[in-house]
Amino acid sequence: MNQLLLEIKSAYKNFPGKPVLNGVDFSVASGQIVGLLGRNGAGKTTLLECALGLREIEYGEIRVCGDPPNALSETTRARIGYVPQQTDLFEWLTAEQMLAYFKAFYPRWNDAKVGALMQRWSIPPNRMIGKLSGGEKQRLAIIRALAHDPDLLILDEPVAGLDPAGRREFLRELVERTIERETTVVFSTHILSDLERVAIDVAFMKDGQITLQRPLDQLSERVRRIVGPTDLLARLRFGHELARINDGASNARIVALCDDQDELQLQSLKTQGVSIEAVTLEDLFMEVA
Amino acid sequence: MPSHSASIFSISTGSTEPIYRQLVSQVQRQVAGGQLAPGDAMPSVRDVARTLALNPLTVSKAYSLLESEGLLQRRRGLGMWVADIGARKGSSATMRAEMLRPTLERAAVEAAQLEIDPKTALSIFAKILKGKR
Repeated sequence: MNQLLLEIKSAYKNFPGKPVLNGVDFSVASGQIVGLLGRNGAGKTTLLECALGLREIEYGEIRVCGDPPNALSETTRARIGYVPQQTDLFEWLTAEQMLAYFKAFYPRWNDAKVGALMQRWSIPPNRMIGKLSGGEKQRLAIIRALAHDPDLLILDEPVAGLDPAGRREFLRELVERTIERETTVVFSTHILSDLERVAIDVAFMKDGQITLQRPLDQLSERVRRIVGPTDLLARLRFGHELARINDGASNARIVALCDDQDELQLQSLKTQGVSIEAVTLEDLFMEVA
Repeated sequence: MPSHSASIFSISTGSTEPIYRQLVSQVQRQVAGGQLAPGDAMPSVRDVARTLALNPLTVSKAYSLLESEGLLQRRRGLGMWVADIGARKGSSATMRAEMLRPTLERAAVEAAQLEIDPKTALSIFAKILKGKR
């Protein structure tokens, strides 16, 4: 088994009057590309911030490259790249000054890559960051996070402020230079099509917990939505049920991760008014997130 | 021998079919239809990944599956090629027959569940093949 770069065990955290991490178990092995999905307020940003030591959990255990987040070693720090959801720091510096400032903290800093990306993504190097557009700021934050060739890249909605062309550019960069270097990537996003292109695994977060973490291909091939008469469906049991919805109507539905035996059981029901469908990632999001 | 660019592929997101499956079936179709001929060079994993903005692992997965099906051949250091027909597992007719197998297996399960004996099931299938009801 690959080494775990990120390991979170039963993490709890409350915001005033509201639990935000409610027993999160989440681990990411070296080389994995994990997309983190969940509705607004599910706790994704808090989870990533806790993993990086920007916030503290109240209970549980977190290890990043083996270190606790509140005591990251210099070596570990140098291995992590992070793009926060919002970047409004260093507004008074120019892009060039900000990058020079960060360069001093990292033993490994890829000047050639920084220069190439600055040019390719047309970031004006000498304008104050505060005067850049939202998209330019976001691209600059991505450049900063990629500059020291991190082993673990944590991206919190990295493309939210980018137009489709900008998103595609970013995905290409991620695919070409980052994934090929076997960088481990955790990214949260609401843009499912991007996630489908680059993520190998997906994790769903709901109400402060990771409710499902699987290879994306396995979800497409194994998750079924079963719709049929409520009384018939009430008798069905699946090894790994993801959702069961009875809204009082005569039809109910079940969403389940089916193994071969479940599939056989389902085939026999097709003649009894039960419909069985594969689901898209968006359908799945609606059912389990 | 022609070599193909990554534009032989196009994928759609938001589908129930995983992306690696889409790539596999596009090669299967293009080989069956002759657009990809034995000896043609396939675009590299890197090219396909870059052009379609896909994870290279997804492209390798598709290529490996096609290799195990005998449709593609890996030449050390040279990438992937469309396999010679002789090298494919079985003739293309048996291969096409294999593609029908999963559907028939499902039909066999349903026939058993409906307690239809094999003879009756086969006669129904024979009628369907002849286009009768």
